[in-house]
Amino acid sequence: MFRLRLAPLRAAVVLAVGFVLLRVVYRVVFGGAGVGLDPVLLDLPRLRLDGPFSHMTLFGPITLLGLGNAALSALPVAAVIVFFGLLNAVINVQSLFARGAGRGPLRAISRSLVIAWATFPALLESVRRVRVARALRGERSIASLLVPVFEQTIERALALAASMETRGFAATRAVPGVCEAPVVLTGAGLSFGAGWHLDDLNVTLEPGTLTVIVGATGSGKTSLLHSLSGLFQHFYDGVQTGRIDIAGADRASTPPRDTAGFVGLVAQNVRLGFAAETVHDEIGFTLAVRGVAPPIVHARVLEVAARLKIEHLISRPIEQLSAGEASLVAIAAALVNHPILLLVDEPLADLDQSARARVCTVLGQLAHEAGVCVVLAEHNTHEFAGTADVWLQIRGSRLHQLSPAEFQFADVLEIPALKPIATLPAVPLASIRRLSVRHAADLAVDDVSFEVRAGELIALRGSNGAGKSSLLRAIALPTAADTVIVAGHDVQTLKRRGRRRAVALVPENFDDLLFAITVAEECRRADRGLQLPKFAGTATLFAQLLGFDATTDAAHLLERHPRDLSAGERLCLVIAIQLAARPALLLVDEPTRGLDQAARALVSAALLTAAGHSAAVIFATHDNNFARGLATRTLRMAAGRLSAPIEVLT
Amino acid sequence: MTVIVSARRSIRWKSWILGGGNTLAAAAFAWPFFVGAVPADAQMAVPIVAFALIPALIVALALTLDREMYTAKTVALLGVLSAVGAAVRIAGAGVGGVEAVFVLLILAGRVYGARFGFLLGLLTIAVSSLLWGGFGPWTPFQMFACGWVGAGAGLLQRWPKATPPTEPARRATAQRWRASLEIALLAAYGVVASYLFGLLMNLWFWPFAVGSGTGISYEAAADPGQNLASFALYSLVTSTLTWDTVRAITTVVGIALVGPAVLAALRRARLNPRR
Repeated sequence: MFRLRLAPLRAAVVLAVGFVLLRVVYRVVFGGAGVGLDPVLLDLPRLRLDGPFSHMTLFGPITLLGLGNAALSALPVAAVIVFFGLLNAVINVQSLFARGAGRGPLRAISRSLVIAWATFPALLESVRRVRVARALRGERSIASLLVPVFEQTIERALALAASMETRGFAATRAVPGVCEAPVVLTGAGLSFGAGWHLDDLNVTLEPGTLTVIVGATGSGKTSLLHSLSGLFQHFYDGVQTGRIDIAGADRASTPPRDTAGFVGLVAQNVRLGFAAETVHDEIGFTLAVRGVAPPIVHARVLEVAARLKIEHLISRPIEQLSAGEASLVAIAAALVNHPILLLVDEPLADLDQSARARVCTVLGQLAHEAGVCVVLAEHNTHEFAGTADVWLQIRGSRLHQLSPAEFQFADVLEIPALKPIATLPAVPLASIRRLSVRHAADLAVDDVSFEVRAGELIALRGSNGAGKSSLLRAIALPTAADTVIVAGHDVQTLKRRGRRRAVALVPENFDDLLFAITVAEECRRADRGLQLPKFAGTATLFAQLLGFDATTDAAHLLERHPRDLSAGERLCLVIAIQLAARPALLLVDEPTRGLDQAARALVSAALLTAAGHSAAVIFATHDNNFARGLATRTLRMAAGRLSAPIEVLT
Repeated sequence: MTVIVSARRSIRWKSWILGGGNTLAAAAFAWPFFVGAVPADAQMAVPIVAFALIPALIVALALTLDREMYTAKTVALLGVLSAVGAAVRIAGAGVGGVEAVFVLLILAGRVYGARFGFLLGLLTIAVSSLLWGGFGPWTPFQMFACGWVGAGAGLLQRWPKATPPTEPARRATAQRWRASLEIALLAAYGVVASYLFGLLMNLWFWPFAVGSGTGISYEAAADPGQNLASFALYSLVTSTLTWDTVRAITTVVGIALVGPAVLAALRRARLNPRR
């Protein structure tokens, strides 16, 4: 509760001195500094005011005693200011409201304060990220900084709210769960008013099974999953018809917070849903909001961590987790109540090969050894080929329940044939010379050199943390001279517009580049920035990338809010914005994350188009099929270095 | 039946507490004008009562609104937005006191309503004061004044949803018109709120700032008209011409610049998620 911090005290002293000076100035101006018989220091002419102000006189004689009196009379208030500065310097008020967050009459406001506190580091991180994105897009307006930061913050708030809701925050009653029938859908239907809908859902899932929901992007995998978690009906304002029973509870009338005791949920972007500051508190959150005694919470946290073999992470601050570790912590947090039903939304999207294998194994064990009913929505179906017991496939507005024998895996990506470039030009389009990137103490990219020829599509491979993203960013925004040369120019010396004609990057968090409220406006801004003629540039390119013949065919998309587009469409929009400058070198970080086969085909066609414009493309990816199908050569990275000599695929 | 009746009664109770609490708070802000009406022996106590009343009213109103806010979505939005507000306020202090926090209070109050706006104002000041270490007797007054700025935006005119023209081109024009009209309304409110906020904050502190014995001093014995004139001049030279004008300009520029996008983001937060 107590600690010493000198800054508030210093500020209070400055404020108090300012207050005293201000009081003296008021007295001088409004005729109050002339008391006493002292020699007059300065005799200013008196100025009488008229009308309603006739009782006032400005200026007048100033005496030493008058000035002293003015300063003296201000001392009591100045002392109060300093006193509160002292209190601020000594008392740690945050620790007071953290105690009120669990229960009591002000728990909503106290919890809001705790969340506000936890939001600050995320806010700083967000500002840092968006500043990079802004430089990549070549924007300088305030809106391009504030709007993406704000959007991210709102997104975080909603993810956090959903995660708190499913973990029993603000629960009024605890519903008992029945283990025998985890999921029973009888003639159920789901819709969001008009547009998308799923009808005639009849599914029964057994305990101890692993079920995978598959379907194209936008087919409603996540909505179906959340119709089981209850967020669809009670958080996202979806409409449910028919009957959905979760472990005996009627989902239509039971909000997620009341079933937190037996339903666990791992959300799509687990980091956004973290509600505590350490791994320990995060795993124990569900129990803590239910008012379980701290020693019991501690014991349960240790038990779950041991089961997932993440005991070493327990004391770690939540923001210091790698993507794979964060997924495991989120799974542990969902398991702490021993759920009957565990729901997982796209657990593999962010993970590299080894982390994927680990998460798949854990989920399989939970179903087949611990007897949990596990349901997950996933694009990466191959990883669950051996473990899934049931496949639920969404086709149109119908759901098909398939056994492992019946389920057919999506075909390997079909790539349109590459137009062979007769002879690769002898002069390299771009050369990277001895590029290094340092993050604090670590060397993220260590002395990397390679050359790129026009028309090449280069896949950059490597595990999480190998330095792929750092390398791509350093090529797009080099900080040292003579490290990145594109088409004969040193990129570091180029101005905004020139730099974008040389090299453009589509970052992993591509949403950061979007800040307008319609797609059309987003395209207009990009055109204006590049001084392109109206409707000739970005919008046309966007329509082309999506496979439309004419821009007018994409008119319905141009009216929408950019963040309401599907993930694939949004990625194409950002690629269009970055390609509109016709860069010689296009860099794309993780272009297939969270995309289904159709969207991947869309993106690969877009990359081929980009390479066709006598340019070159480098893309970083974890996706084997995508890299193999598209790349003309592969660069491998490990620990900041290019590990293998350059191999040319034939 | 009893449930419905008691629910209604609690709603009525709640509006009484909110109405009464805000009126009392307004009276506490204006304490200099009430001193003359109080018997001479009790006059010393008036500022002390006002200082004790404001924090007590904050607690009372927070307790009244807390239950209503106790859903995951509201708590999360309130927490995250007050962090943004506090960050804006602290960042503003670094660039010469350019106060942009009203932009957020007004936009959020407009979208989520008066009660949310009021609490957001309270919490933004609380969080920024805690973070920056500027807690003091003035903090409760700031909290109330900012709360009113957010609440006022929530009480502004909401025009009914006109049936949009079916023709796409005309529909787009109509929508653009409505959006610009809303931004203009909010910007105008921003100007009014900036000056009123300055006046309110000057009002309760005026007797302390100037002390006695000057032309613009507060005189307990003088008639209200003279005190009003003194206060008007004090306020004019203290903040109306300087800080309040800067704040009004910042607010208008901010609302015009990021208003449409932020309103869209706040409104989308209530909409369906991506599938």
